Amino acid sequence: MGILSDGIEWLTDPANWEGTNGIPARLLEHLQISIVSMAIALAIALPMALVLGHLHKGEFFVNAAVNIGRAIPSFGIVIFAGLLFLEWGISLKFWPVVAALVLLAIPPIFTNTYTAITTVDPELVEAARGVGMPERRVLLSLELPVSAPVTLAGIKIATVQVVSTATIGAILSSGGGFGRYIVDGFGQGPPGHAKVLGGAVLLAGLVLVIESIFALAERRLLPEGIRRLGRATDVVDAIGHG
Amino acid sequence: MIVAQASTDRAFFQWDWVLAHWSELGEQTVEHLFLTGTSVAIGLVISAALAAIALRWSSTFGPIIGVGGVLYSVPSLALFALLVPFTGLTSRTTAIIPLVTYTILILVRNMVAGIRSVPAEVVEAAQGMGLRRRQVFMKVEVPLALPTFFAGLRITTVTIVGLVTVTALLGFGGLGQFILNGFRKSIVFPTEIIVGMVASVLLAMVLDFALLQAQRVTTPWLRRPRS
Amino acid sequence: MRNIFRSRVIGATFVVLALVATACGSGDDVADGSTITVGSFNFPESQILAEIYAQTLEANDYPIEKKLNLGSRELIFPSLKSGEIDLLPEYLGSSLGVGFGIDSASDADSVATALSDAFAAEGVTVLQYAPGEDKNVFVVTQEFAAANNLVTISDLAGVADLTLGGPPECENRDTCYGGLTGTYGLSQLKFESIQEGAARIAALENGEIDVGLLFSTQPVIVEKGFVALEDDKVLIRAENIVPVLNLSIADEYGSDLTKLIDSVTAKITTDVLLELNGKVENEGLDPDAVAKDWLTSNGFL
Repeated sequence: MGILSDGIEWLTDPANWEGTNGIPARLLEHLQISIVSMAIALAIALPMALVLGHLHKGEFFVNAAVNIGRAIPSFGIVIFAGLLFLEWGISLKFWPVVAALVLLAIPPIFTNTYTAITTVDPELVEAARGVGMPERRVLLSLELPVSAPVTLAGIKIATVQVVSTATIGAILSSGGGFGRYIVDGFGQGPPGHAKVLGGAVLLAGLVLVIESIFALAERRLLPEGIRRLGRATDVVDAIGHG
Repeated sequence: MIVAQASTDRAFFQWDWVLAHWSELGEQTVEHLFLTGTSVAIGLVISAALAAIALRWSSTFGPIIGVGGVLYSVPSLALFALLVPFTGLTSRTTAIIPLVTYTILILVRNMVAGIRSVPAEVVEAAQGMGLRRRQVFMKVEVPLALPTFFAGLRITTVTIVGLVTVTALLGFGGLGQFILNGFRKSIVFPTEIIVGMVASVLLAMVLDFALLQAQRVTTPWLRRPRS
Repeated sequence: MRNIFRSRVIGATFVVLALVATACGSGDDVADGSTITVGSFNFPESQILAEIYAQTLEANDYPIEKKLNLGSRELIFPSLKSGEIDLLPEYLGSSLGVGFGIDSASDADSVATALSDAFAAEGVTVLQYAPGEDKNVFVVTQEFAAANNLVTISDLAGVADLTLGGPPECENRDTCYGGLTGTYGLSQLKFESIQEGAARIAALENGEIDVGLLFSTQPVIVEKGFVALEDDKVLIRAENIVPVLNLSIADEYGSDLTKLIDSVTAKITTDVLLELNGKVENEGLDPDAVAKDWLTSNGFL
């Protein structure tokens, strides 16, 4: 079977690197969808988790987020978002996919951050309060840095999930980043297999790059002591998938 | 500008449709369970073998997890498409093989992590009591690793329930058929999409709960005594 | 030791169960002869037609298995040729053009003859075609047609910056995007891949695409007031519904089977297609229920 060599040929064909359906354009599209989704998810999930975690309230939210968030099929949520946007008369090209991805990204960010904040050593927190730290500083200068590794792990899981699930967005409408190659190649039968393989390799490569960036960020941003703290409590894990 | 005035003259959600489709829902739930169960069962067997290798020769753990991670990051639809020429379009094998590959990463990692988390003192104590290596493994290490193992199994099962819906694009899909068929009409049919999704979420939650109960039963020592 | 043995037995049982389950799939009704696997493409009309044939065969005690909603022709054809799928409701022109890349005169009889020849080499027999046909049509909104004076596909030549929306397989087909840029010479035409009909209709209405590929038997075209551009260079040939059947199945069951199928096919007119599609696509009814109703009212069940 020449699928492998066909895939390599597809990836190295200059024609596939130009135009609106070219690899750079699709990469940009994929990144736009992923970055906008992550930005919105972070803006929602992080403050909520920080505040609720600091107050040690909202255990119910955490459980609900973990259980329901994990159980929602990404395929279903993408199509459901498509349905809603059809009803509202908004283009299916970008926002329904983002809406679905935001919903999928919130649970891992929220749960990891919340768990990390609530498991910060209470003696540390008490000590901080004892020396007269205001609550805001207890949260931002103590709880947040100490829980950073687990929070970062949650963000990484969410990002990887968002980037791989963005692929499914290509079944909704046009656009869809690298998913376009996979959905189109699939519909085009055997001649499309090179495109499918090429798209899958590109996506796997993108995920690998993102994981490396996170690994680098962890090493650069977090002091060794804090990193070790993180590993011990790193319990929440990857969910869902495209 | 209003684009698609889909379903202007009908309710967004029709209960009577649900009531008229109990038997189809039942059939697709069974199909969904079958695809999930088969994939997870095969995944468990393969993962157990890989975990055994990783525990015996610890240098293999990295590569095994690496390959598992790569498989995990390949989109399911791509794997389905590339398998069709080998396993056929209408055979469930085409749906099951990709699903199995997604179970391996988390299952192997949690099996190995579970065994490795057993404190060395506990193992030494067991050896001191005269248990042989195998007995230590089966009677001490495996039971103590069960909570971590079950955590991985729960995540995996729930993930696979979700991924089975994608196989609707190949004509399988279990409950995913409702999701796809509802969208696959020139005027989309919301009820069908919502029913497919809610049923899939419920199925995942039920299986998750069942596995949690299984874990509780198999690890009685973890149940907190009532105060 | 016993524990290890037991866990191995359990493990092995799992594997065997899984393999057996995968191998069996659904039960084969071997006692009555080979199971006839009925397939369909991934759009509602194809599902309705496959249901019509499958239910007719089932009512006449033929062992059947339904494998519906599989995918595009490009995806299904290898399985049809290999005998994985035995019966498929096809469309004359598309089957010949897309399935085999063969050109022919555009009338139904010429296409049917050419298609029979092409399929014969693959071990598939082409049964009688139906009076009803469903053509690919290129539609624009009323406003767009009026603004650009569009009646025929050729008229599109005068419009700069055009985008066609169609399913993924349209991109490479000579009867679709390939034909519009080739036969019609619309070199300014761009292609946007939009898999599902509803999404294409939405994209057409909000101006993301200018031309959309739809089926002539979709009632939505009339309801939305879309203008179907006239195919003045005859890109699309006769597209009558035509069931194709695996040759070994046809031989095994003989003319009883083919006559039965032909009798159903004869009743499938374009109006029937429009009516049945409306029930599924607009009213949300199930293809199997719609097929059953139609078969019952026509005396086949």
